[in-house]
Amino acid sequence: MLAVFGAVAAAQPLPLAPDKAFRFDARALNPQAIEARFSIVDGYYLYRDRMHFSVEPASVPATVATLPPGKTKEDPFFGRVETYRGQVIINIALKDTVPGQKVVIVAESQGCADVGICYPVQTQRVTVSLPAANVAPTRPDQPPRKLWFE
Amino acid sequence: MNRRQILTAGWVAALAALCVGIYMGTRRETPLDSAALFALSLPDAAGKEQSISQWRGKVLVVNFWATWCAPCREEMPEFIKTQARYGSQGLQFVGIAVDDADKVAVFTKELGLNYPALIGGYGAVELSKTLGNRFAALPFSIVIDRQGHIFLTQLGPLKPDQLQAIIPKLL
Repeated sequence: MLAVFGAVAAAQPLPLAPDKAFRFDARALNPQAIEARFSIVDGYYLYRDRMHFSVEPASVPATVATLPPGKTKEDPFFGRVETYRGQVIINIALKDTVPGQKVVIVAESQGCADVGICYPVQTQRVTVSLPAANVAPTRPDQPPRKLWFE
Repeated sequence: MNRRQILTAGWVAALAALCVGIYMGTRRETPLDSAALFALSLPDAAGKEQSISQWRGKVLVVNFWATWCAPCREEMPEFIKTQARYGSQGLQFVGIAVDDADKVAVFTKELGLNYPALIGGYGAVELSKTLGNRFAALPFSIVIDRQGHIFLTQLGPLKPDQLQAIIPKLL
């Protein structure tokens, strides 16, 4: 009986909340380098050209490296688009920071699920404490927080 | 049946009910009051305000969509066919685009849309959340009968066989 219900439930899985389908995380490699990461659940994907990053406070100059290439597909309306599945790592270089300073990495993204739904643009934030030079990367101070429609 | 068996049966029944609830939740969200929807007035792509209540009494299919949502675009040709087939019998599709008016105008012209496309903007997603679209995802459709009762709400594409099974029955 359970197996039957389990099979039915699996055949029509509930779509995940977007912050669960597209987990965002970031860590400091050193006081001037952030490694940001999207971990995308199987069956979901993000659009490359809808992914944007920024750093708060705005007084910290940040340079986001070119996003890695995604899988290309032809969209009848938008033309050539690139999508990400699995993991995406994005490097962000910071300037004028001091060890111990906290910065917030802000990620804007938009994605869909293979079951045939798309989520609106979402904004996620992770606070990172910058370490002294040459120490092990820090863990994020807090889990990603979803903020809709800012 | 001893106490342990009764407890086990109870847990199995509860789990089964949960599974059924999860399954139904993916296909049909809990119907809510349609009053908020009928009270809604939104601009069309030309900027003219359109009240949803003007279609009260028809079988109404309200479809939340966006040009940036590929699954939304893929289901719309079938909506056009269905509107053409049943429109004279009282069916009315209404699209609410969670999008910019200029993109909607270009896309609907390309597609040859034969039903109204209203511009909801991102605020329209919030309305759809009150109608059961808890993740604010698209496409999200609401089928309303002639009496104004919500017959079906669905996250994800409305399949052609679904439309064929539902629409003639409601007309």
